[in-house]
Amino acid sequence: MPWRDRTGAFSPFKAVVFAALFLPALLLAEAAWTATLGPKPWQAATHDSGTWAIRLLLLSLAITPARQILRQARIAELRRMIGVACFAYVMLHLVIYAGDLAFDWLKVASEILRRIYLTIGFVALLGLAALAATSTDGAVQRLGGPGWRRLHRLAYPIAALALVHFTLQSKADVTEPMLMAGLFAWLMGYRLVAPQGGAPSLPVLLALAVAAAAATAGIEFAWYALATGINPWRVLEANLDVTFGLRPALWVGIAGLGAAALRALPRRRTARRPAEA
Amino acid sequence: MPILIRRGWEIPEARVTPEHLVFGRRKAMLAGAGLLAAPAMASAQEAAPLRAMRNTRYVPGRDITGEREATTFNNYYEFGSDKGISRPAQRLPQRPWTVKVEGMVETPREFGIEDLLRTMPLEERVYRLRCVEAWSMVVPWTGFPISALLEVVKPLASARYVVFETAAIPAVMPGLRQSWYPWPYIEGCTVAEAANDLSFLVVGAYGKLLPPQNGGPIRFHQPWKYGFKAGKSIVRITLTDRRPVSFWEQIQASEYGFWANVNPEVAHPRWSQASERVLGTNARIPTQLFNGYGEFVAGLYTGLQNERLWA
Repeated sequence: MPWRDRTGAFSPFKAVVFAALFLPALLLAEAAWTATLGPKPWQAATHDSGTWAIRLLLLSLAITPARQILRQARIAELRRMIGVACFAYVMLHLVIYAGDLAFDWLKVASEILRRIYLTIGFVALLGLAALAATSTDGAVQRLGGPGWRRLHRLAYPIAALALVHFTLQSKADVTEPMLMAGLFAWLMGYRLVAPQGGAPSLPVLLALAVAAAAATAGIEFAWYALATGINPWRVLEANLDVTFGLRPALWVGIAGLGAAALRALPRRRTARRPAEA
Repeated sequence: MPILIRRGWEIPEARVTPEHLVFGRRKAMLAGAGLLAAPAMASAQEAAPLRAMRNTRYVPGRDITGEREATTFNNYYEFGSDKGISRPAQRLPQRPWTVKVEGMVETPREFGIEDLLRTMPLEERVYRLRCVEAWSMVVPWTGFPISALLEVVKPLASARYVVFETAAIPAVMPGLRQSWYPWPYIEGCTVAEAANDLSFLVVGAYGKLLPPQNGGPIRFHQPWKYGFKAGKSIVRITLTDRRPVSFWEQIQASEYGFWANVNPEVAHPRWSQASERVLGTNARIPTQLFNGYGEFVAGLYTGLQNERLWA
């Protein structure tokens, strides 16, 4: 049960997070019920559920860095429920999309096959289904620790596919997909630089923040150069202009610096939990 | 990091049109009848009335979209890249407003919007608007055929294209800060297309002055083309012999072409155009060739089969 810890005791920490994972869906249901989703409610709901799926996918990838940077082992207990919630939102996303096509499943299937961004999204969905199906205690035991871990490393390519899907479906404005792509770049970079079993040092995290911000600007530059008629140099230059709000590269840099700042916090005594033997 | 992005439709109760205005329009119009000459501060909610006879030649064949939907779900990148720009768009000053008509014309002129309202043959037309994003609405526009305006300036025989330029005012249009877009917004059509009676310069909607988020004080609409062809808040109309490259064509030529005539058979690269969502309803209906205006416009394209007419 998601609200119990490994010993089977009720865990308020896990229970609160478990309940919070329902919140976006409840808010969406409320908006649908009160007809405040705007004049194209199906599409608005498709976008909302899909965006939450991607947020949760990145959040599940942020569990390990958060655990190591904050030195809070119990954070790891959240990963499975966040990952499974991500899959639930992806399924919701698919069902709502089908609803937008008046539940004409033949049409849904043909659109998935004919539009490359939908094909990519659907492959990501299948991958998440495999991960969700192997998320029970029994499945973990059957696969064995190393096998299970190897399989669940699929989360990285799945996240990349999901981000491509997110970017391709955008019109001209790819601000939010680029922000997500930049955060993903940080999460992947973290895994490259983190020493076995711990968080990287403060200077490494500072360098990672700068590198992830630069990577965001680079991905964005490449997208505009390859996929649009927009001059990518103008986009790159605009990173220096903060008057229209911060651009994705700057947000990613700020998030990276935030992680570094948390690393710099004085080490708390690990009084809460008895030593894990 | 969850980022809450306020969707366009999340408007406060205070911005909803008051019930007494929605259900007492006749009274409100009578009360406002004298205001036509001084609508300087008109906003979407208190736009001055603009009455004209309805043209019965063009019947929409479906219900008129609610005014609230049509005036709160707007593509207007100068104000933001989501659909919820109706509030920021209120900052666009509607008066004074002038439209320059120049280029290959006998008598280039600058028209004040009030002059156009006074001198042009205003009528109401209920048009279907089909967006390239596969949604549609039905709006009662008030306006005049652009041919009436072109008669005044007399295009030269050499003119082949009409180009529409949207206002670009950095002080009130935050979207212009996205400096990588090819501002100002440019759209265009051929002179032959503009000469078609359906080609309509719009100065009002729902019996009132056109609100800024819908392209006030003056916009264009050719209902057989996808909506992005309809330039908003027009400040300049240029006649030329060179085919313009529009705003969206510059950004994404594979998705937004010059002709952009509605055709359910020709899919957008990312979605089918076979059907459309009717704004404000739960209906998804089949899309019609030329958005159902084929009897009036199909003849414009004979001999142009080699052009990319459909998107």
